[in-house]
Amino acid sequence: MDKAQRDELIRLITSPPAGSKIAAAKDFGIDLTLLVRRLELTPTERLQELAAAQAFVQKLQAAKKTSTHE
Amino acid sequence: MNDFGRLLKILCEGKVQFVIIGGVAASAHGSAHLTYDLDICYGRARDNIERLAKALEPYHPRLRGVQDDLSFCFDATTIARGMNFTLTTDVGDIDLFGEVAGIGGYKDVEALSITEVLFGDECAVLSLQGLIQSKRAAARPKDLLILPEIEALRAIETQVKCQSGPIEARSEDRVEDKQSEHKPDDNP
Repeated sequence: MDKAQRDELIRLITSPPAGSKIAAAKDFGIDLTLLVRRLELTPTERLQELAAAQAFVQKLQAAKKTSTHE
Repeated sequence: MNDFGRLLKILCEGKVQFVIIGGVAASAHGSAHLTYDLDICYGRARDNIERLAKALEPYHPRLRGVQDDLSFCFDATTIARGMNFTLTTDVGDIDLFGEVAGIGGYKDVEALSITEVLFGDECAVLSLQGLIQSKRAAARPKDLLILPEIEALRAIETQVKCQSGPIEARSEDRVEDKQSEHKPDDNP
């Protein structure tokens, strides 16, 4: 993504056109700011980040189980 | 932990015809949603089913969410007799779909896919438009939850294009776009 695209993306998510799908997502509660960084990654990097987030959640769940059993 | 890279490598090296669908496809497009398994739509031709069975067999695929002692033989005959399978393997969870709601079988899904380089291999990934179609058709609460984000990504893709196609961090990672054209469905 070049600077012009990034600027356009930030403009779109901070001031989405009224009635657009982007505005609808914002109204729905989607944190559009997360998409900026996600879109700066390659598809492979996005999946690597997904796997890391998944592993983090699983560690939290395991810690919760350990704590419950103590 | 799911090793998406390993699972994809296994399928690609096994020359399995498949399209990545569901949450992993959405994530590859930029979605921030968390998903725990790899969903694929696979070709139902007998030779492809045999390649799929052969590729996954070394990783001990078994039905997910059932009692461990339930007998299950994962082979081409089993796949041919069924359609969709929810599996766990030694390298992660994978769901196999012979058909996708709102789109159809493998050929229809493949026609709505784009090719991305993922972990060094070219993989077919269901396009944002295809994801929107399938999520709208499935219409389960979890599908409707992710739909606004996918629709926003589609609108962003349409409006913030680079010359070679939808926005990417490094455009050379996108090798092909099978959709002839992107029709804006947003209302700016």
